[in-house]
Amino acid sequence: MAPPSSARPGWSRRAQYSLFFSFLAAIAGLLVGLFLLALSLVAPNSYAAVRGAALDVTAPVTGALREGTTTIGGLFSGAGNYWDAANQNAKLKAERAAMQRQILQARAILQENRQLKAALQLREKAQQAVASGRIVGSSFQSQRRFAVISAGSGDGVGAGMPVRAAEGLIGRVIDVGATASRVLLISDQANIVPARLLRTGVAVISTGRGDGSIDVRPLEVGRNPFRRGDIIVTSGTGGLYPPHVPIARVVRLDDDGAIALPMADPADVSFAIVEQPYEEAALAEPPEPTETR
Amino acid sequence: MVRSALGRPGSALDRGPKRFARFIPAWSVAVASCLCLLPIVTQVGWFPDFGFLLLLAWRLLRGDVIPAWWAAPLGLFNDVVAGGPIGLSVAIWTGAMILLDLLDRRTMWRDYWVEWGLAAVLILLHDLARWEIDGVMGANSPFSTAVPPLVIAILAFPLAAWAASRIDRWRLGR
Repeated sequence: MAPPSSARPGWSRRAQYSLFFSFLAAIAGLLVGLFLLALSLVAPNSYAAVRGAALDVTAPVTGALREGTTTIGGLFSGAGNYWDAANQNAKLKAERAAMQRQILQARAILQENRQLKAALQLREKAQQAVASGRIVGSSFQSQRRFAVISAGSGDGVGAGMPVRAAEGLIGRVIDVGATASRVLLISDQANIVPARLLRTGVAVISTGRGDGSIDVRPLEVGRNPFRRGDIIVTSGTGGLYPPHVPIARVVRLDDDGAIALPMADPADVSFAIVEQPYEEAALAEPPEPTETR
Repeated sequence: MVRSALGRPGSALDRGPKRFARFIPAWSVAVASCLCLLPIVTQVGWFPDFGFLLLLAWRLLRGDVIPAWWAAPLGLFNDVVAGGPIGLSVAIWTGAMILLDLLDRRTMWRDYWVEWGLAAVLILLHDLARWEIDGVMGANSPFSTAVPPLVIAILAFPLAAWAASRIDRWRLGR
């Protein structure tokens, strides 16, 4: 395509003016954009209403599409389950027997634990779920890791509440609409969770890496406490996340920490459960559970 | 024979521009922004920003179908739908349009490779700005994590260019 020889569209004054004003409008648009961006960096809460309303409009669309894809996916995986059913059945029976034995053991331990706690006069709050919703979408175009769940302020969800699944921790709520909310996943770089190594109880910090994995570092510098296959659980420090929720499993060690994969894969979990912050005070301040005791 | 050619639906003679042909490019960019509503739950965000790609494709295909200042409302729509920091796409998209307006005065000639190169540079600037803003918002990461989506977006640009040219032919009734 041959470029125009000059920016002048011709001899028409009207055309010249309209070109000039459109250029001015573009500059104005750029300035407005920079202003809006500065505002969302300095005062992120100023757009809460807009973002919530947008979620309410967009999440049902995503939810409906998700319904379709899970149905189609279910057809395939359902057919797969019939394949080799006898073998699967035998394996499941063996697993079930092993589970039964473990449950009996666990029950005994639970009882002992209760007696010991009563002896120590320890009080513990029972966590109750606020709401539960399906994970309908995620931020697949951005390096930030967000997911959209189909539960909002109408169900009692508030900004800052922790979100978990049966398998483990998912993240915390950051934007709330009436029927949907956006969750900052634990694999986001901005999500820092105070955690513990389940095997030894060593305090660690878990930070997302933005690529689906999680970076875990011990609080105290020293020997690397991790081993492959270690389970990381929340410590409850900071008061936002409840303690003893599984976060991730260590897959690789590096020089002073380890890389772990989340226990609850947002793509696989069926339901996300929104809970009250472990201690109510955690919501009063901006939820930033980075401080450790 | 001429009469039969006139009467047949879909023949070249009675085709013309669609009714809202002027606004179809901007609409298509908004629709591309809505592609982020697809129910894809991933652990990595490697998909390109479809709206931005299509905007660049339109702007490089025809300099006059999307006036530069339309990029501001389109970018705002993209921000609100995708849930990014509001104002980021407004600034980046409008900046890209102004940059291309200024570049149009400098470039002596254009061909497919030059357009792809321009698009690659703009996509790189777009990703750099986003990475910088993510860092300011507390998500510090090495730029290496942003390289795979950058490469994917640059490789996906020809697809966007193809889509823009197909929509262009359809809207003009050619």
